[in-house]
Amino acid sequence: MKTHSSHNITAQMTDPSFIEEIKKIPGGEKILDCIQCGICAGSCHARFAMDYSPMQILKMAHLGLKQEVLSSSTIWICASCYTCASRCPRGLNIPAIMSGFKNMAMKNNVQAPIALKPKFHKTFTEIIGKYGRMHEPELQMRLLKKTSPGELLHNASLGLRMLRKGKLKLQPSKLDSSTHFSEIYKKASSEEAK
Amino acid sequence: MKYAYFPGCSIHASAKEYAMAAKAVNKYLDVELVEIPDWNCCGAIDAVYAYNPLLSVSLAARNLALAQNMKMDIVTLCSACFFTLSRANNLMRENADMKSRVDRAINDAGLKYEGGIKVRHYMDILANDVGFEKIRQQVKMPLKGLKVAPYYGCLIVRPTGIQRFDDPEHPTSMDNVIKALGAEAVNYPDKTSCCGASLVITDEEVMMEMTKHPLLTAKEAQADCIVTPCPMCHFNLEAKQKDIESHFDIELGLPVLYITQLIGLAFGLPPKELGLHRNIVSPNKIFEKLKGQMTQKAS
Repeated sequence: MKTHSSHNITAQMTDPSFIEEIKKIPGGEKILDCIQCGICAGSCHARFAMDYSPMQILKMAHLGLKQEVLSSSTIWICASCYTCASRCPRGLNIPAIMSGFKNMAMKNNVQAPIALKPKFHKTFTEIIGKYGRMHEPELQMRLLKKTSPGELLHNASLGLRMLRKGKLKLQPSKLDSSTHFSEIYKKASSEEAK
Repeated sequence: MKYAYFPGCSIHASAKEYAMAAKAVNKYLDVELVEIPDWNCCGAIDAVYAYNPLLSVSLAARNLALAQNMKMDIVTLCSACFFTLSRANNLMRENADMKSRVDRAINDAGLKYEGGIKVRHYMDILANDVGFEKIRQQVKMPLKGLKVAPYYGCLIVRPTGIQRFDDPEHPTSMDNVIKALGAEAVNYPDKTSCCGASLVITDEEVMMEMTKHPLLTAKEAQADCIVTPCPMCHFNLEAKQKDIESHFDIELGLPVLYITQLIGLAFGLPPKELGLHRNIVSPNKIFEKLKGQMTQKAS
């Protein structure tokens, strides 16, 4: 668990344009309404695994500590459970802001403290592009760290449990091309990259 | 009552039994779910949305536009799809920039979304369109003596902008269904905690720590089983239960049923039709308890 006191923050660490970037995140418009009450930090179910609490992240965002925010584990650990957002007295959509931070981190190639995270988002999205729907076995296979036989065994055991119960769909679903799924996928992907 | 049905990817894979049981009980509740033809991924809670928000909303918009062609509101069994489709619906209503960018993406493909389609969760249909009384009337085998812990999870009750039908802090819709079936709804502190959702893929230990809590507190409250309305929660609580037991060196053995499976049991439907053979944590404890109940009744 880290803390930030204003003593160890220097002007060089801050980026005054960060707050304007955050306001452009859908749901980030109200970022400056945060009153640091702490209900998000107190409510967070995943706080134990984060380096900074959501409240600290919001304060750091106010201060313009872009690099610290985008390289924190907090933004990747947030599970979008919405406990903080449903309790926030100022109506901030904190999970949407966390998603926006992940997006910025990936676009700026900021090294994620959990190395697998950016790959998870990219691979998941690519599989949706390929089939139109999720194909779980392919996602699992592509995310396996090839170096760990222990992990391979562990995943194989769950896979077998699922397979025995018919819960693993080995063949991917395919969409009917007449409703132009891939056109939408390509268009939205290229628009976002602009 | 007819709805445009959005199954979602889990329902076609790991959560098939949730839909099997829904299909079986819908007949008794006058609910008809008409599958949206050629539906695609809902847009995903965060996996696609954080990578490319425009793409996530456009994927959802395609589904909304297909439902609009059917002139029916969308119903989904999955809490994650419910949230994701609702989020897209709201963003297109409230964020003009997002709306025009999504329009560009889907119009070229010959689709148009005017807005006005409601996205609803199946639990909302049970609570408000069907009603608890109608559920009670269809019960053939009251689940007397069965202690059931309702696990609501997150996305069905909490996010802003969803079609809200229950209290985000103290939801009661599943409690009321459980009571209508003749069972006892167990009170325990974790009914709206978070299972960790997709952290199961990238941060398994974090997810296990999160999912451990509802499993332990439900067991401490002497629940015979947990019920859930969400395939993601079900996966973490059910399929991963064995891993959680060995990771923390604890004993759980707690069956986790979909709410539709529990309803089907009380309607006297055969377990096979409800897909109970697909559960990884054996539901035999439930059968034994109910068998005892039935023998008592007969004697």
